[in-house]
Amino acid sequence: MTKRWMGYGAWLLLSACLYFFENNTGTRAVLLCAVLLPLVPPLRTAFFSPDQPKKDEIPEAMTVRTFTRREPEDSGEIRRYVPGDPVRRIHWKLSAKKEELLVRETAAGQVIAEQGNGIDSLAGNDAGHAVSAAKDLSAPCCNCRNHTPANIKAHGNSRPKKRSRQIAAMLAAGIILCGMLLLLIPEARRSAQGLLNRIFTASEAVNSYRYARFAVPENQSVLPAAILLLCAFVFLLGIMAVLGSRLMALGILAACMLFQVYFGLAFPSWINILLCALFAGWILRRPVRRKDLAVCSAFMLLVILLTVIFLPGVNADTEAASEKVRDRLTQMAEQIMGTVSENPAGEAETRHIHTRSMENGDREAETEQEFRLVTVEEEQISMPHWINWVKMLLLLLLSVLVIALPFTPFLLLNARKRKAREIRKAFASEDISEGIRAIFRQIILWLETVHPGAENLLFREWAGVLPEDLPEGYADRFARCAADYEEAAYSNHPMPERKRREAMDLLKETETALWNHSNRRQRFYLKYWMCLHE
Amino acid sequence: MREQLESVIAEVEKVIAGKRKVIEKILTALLADGHILLDDVPGVGKTTLAVALSRAVGLSFRRVQFTPDVLPSDLTGFSMYTRESGTFVYQPGALIGTNLLLGDEVNRASSKTQSALLEAMEERQVTVDGQTYSLSSPFLVIATENSVGTAGTQFLPYAQMDRFLVRLSLGYPDYEAQMTLLRDRQGTNPMNEVRCVLTRDELTDLQCMVRSVTSKDAILDYITRLTMASREHEAVEVGISPRGALFIDRMAKARAFLEGRDYVTGADVQAVFADVCAHRVLLKASAEGISVGRVLDELLKKTENPDRRGLFAGKKK
Repeated sequence: MTKRWMGYGAWLLLSACLYFFENNTGTRAVLLCAVLLPLVPPLRTAFFSPDQPKKDEIPEAMTVRTFTRREPEDSGEIRRYVPGDPVRRIHWKLSAKKEELLVRETAAGQVIAEQGNGIDSLAGNDAGHAVSAAKDLSAPCCNCRNHTPANIKAHGNSRPKKRSRQIAAMLAAGIILCGMLLLLIPEARRSAQGLLNRIFTASEAVNSYRYARFAVPENQSVLPAAILLLCAFVFLLGIMAVLGSRLMALGILAACMLFQVYFGLAFPSWINILLCALFAGWILRRPVRRKDLAVCSAFMLLVILLTVIFLPGVNADTEAASEKVRDRLTQMAEQIMGTVSENPAGEAETRHIHTRSMENGDREAETEQEFRLVTVEEEQISMPHWINWVKMLLLLLLSVLVIALPFTPFLLLNARKRKAREIRKAFASEDISEGIRAIFRQIILWLETVHPGAENLLFREWAGVLPEDLPEGYADRFARCAADYEEAAYSNHPMPERKRREAMDLLKETETALWNHSNRRQRFYLKYWMCLHE
Repeated sequence: MREQLESVIAEVEKVIAGKRKVIEKILTALLADGHILLDDVPGVGKTTLAVALSRAVGLSFRRVQFTPDVLPSDLTGFSMYTRESGTFVYQPGALIGTNLLLGDEVNRASSKTQSALLEAMEERQVTVDGQTYSLSSPFLVIATENSVGTAGTQFLPYAQMDRFLVRLSLGYPDYEAQMTLLRDRQGTNPMNEVRCVLTRDELTDLQCMVRSVTSKDAILDYITRLTMASREHEAVEVGISPRGALFIDRMAKARAFLEGRDYVTGADVQAVFADVCAHRVLLKASAEGISVGRVLDELLKKTENPDRRGLFAGKKK
């Protein structure tokens, strides 16, 4: 659990940093980046994956496999199988280890298999092991619980799903009811207007915009509206929890933001942050689907762009200074116009203020000069739009950087993981020769990683330079396997399945032996850079 | 098949003791249907080896001792006028009807004789007075060169060296081998005990089978990378030619066949590389203190072998 909370902590810290940034630059766009950040899968898996099973729970012989991250990643706890659980949710691998049927639990009754491509492919990789394990396990286990597989299937997930729909419908009805009450009961309506007035006040304090108030007394109680809105909000969260939908959360969040952008009405930043944290919490509970992510990202980007272009942020100080200057300007203009209109010479002579002022004395010249200076000052404050554009551009760049920077290592690692998965997939390839070739190359990769320095040797010559701490008879098996490898790689002979099995056994033996003998640095390297465990 | 080749080696070993490796290489070259250049000091058994081989395989054997006044027509034959019929009659030379030709001290022959020989080696036919005569098949030339006493000799030009499949050297026998050699020749000549264990037709069949050995793209890629690396090596003036690459492949196939496989592995290429390429690489004059052997070793060490190819692509280093 600690890891997950650490993830949340890191994310909140980042959000807080952005909050200060937002306050200082006077823009709201960056806030959205903070929401976007935790949605990207690499970061999520890195920070937000729950704990791994404890090491001592696993038999000694399996230590090599302990670093597989796969088991609990699907956000669920692992618990014992009870009749009625969907068969698809049985965690075959862990079941095989513990010799009892275990089930992954998900946050809200959705089936694991629907949770996005990444996890699907992960599961697919494991299929080879799982199927054999399933064969061994399922029969006795099911028998002792008096369940045939067909029985288990009959208990499937239709009932919980249906019920959750009903609950969601009820909650939605609750929301609509809240909304109607808010509009229909006069007391509630007044209270809502009062609430809006207060929000306007808060917003004015931040934005130096002025809003037309509703005609309600200043001391109107906001309690009824606040309670109703809170209820509606709670119901909304309830729907999200029951349906487990992320898009809804994102939609609400985006609506909030758009609302702020459109009306130029800003909640104080801390409310925004709180909103984001709440919704993001829900979003993070479940793995993010790639499709969702694409839609959200596109939407968020649009919002950011709109924000940046139409509402590049208001700096209260600049605004105040501008206001002051404008006041002075009007004052002076009036003054000058006053002197001119006082003059009986009329309109024609206004064009020659300059010459006139020379004749009439210094007072008018001073006034005019001051007028010019003030005009320039005003221009400097309000005119240069291109500066805003540069600011926007910089901001965009910064957002992109902020979004992209933390992910580069994860992207790199992801590429490696994908490659490792491809290699693993080749093990079970249709073409047995290809399979043997891939397996043996993996063996060499292990050997080279843990005991580097064999340089440019042919694989058959590795038998002579194997490290000494390998189990007895390993070198012979290795040599035999190397010969198989050469045959598989360089000849057109069909290879028997038996040889692939032999190679696979050797790979497992190599992995066990080398993993147990490697030091911490090597393990780190194996794990994260070479992804040999994948 | 494998036993037949094994027995050929055994037969030859009756006469040449302790030189199994060289005998294997010569047999490999024979299977690959290529010519051999033996580069060695006198008296280590070059001729004996050739004779023993020809007897064990049942090839017709001829030997030409090259001197500066051996003429091309001695090899190719010539047409002589006969007074009775009033026509020219072709008198076959040493090349005609021979399977195994031992050209002793080929570097002593004049350059035109050398070129006549090399042409026949390449084309496997001779042309005299507009008449083309094809040589018997298989046709194998074992040419020898003495590396001592080179005064008054005509070195084979680089371009002609390229025609030989391999350059080998026998080297002196070790103590044990020399003792056996002396003991064997006390009363009898072991050459008389060499039996014919492989017929000429069988050899032709074997050569056919060698050609059908599989060389996968990974191997061809390895050969290509090796040869290209030789051309780019900084100490090398002239690198391995495309013909050299072809010969490496052919020789590797023959070696794989001799080992009882029908596919070439990286080890085959590595094993034959030095023998096939040593006489094809010319070093720069500026490359002092570097031998061709060292360059070839370096190439083998630096060029990624086909097993490892692409395996450590993303790794540090």
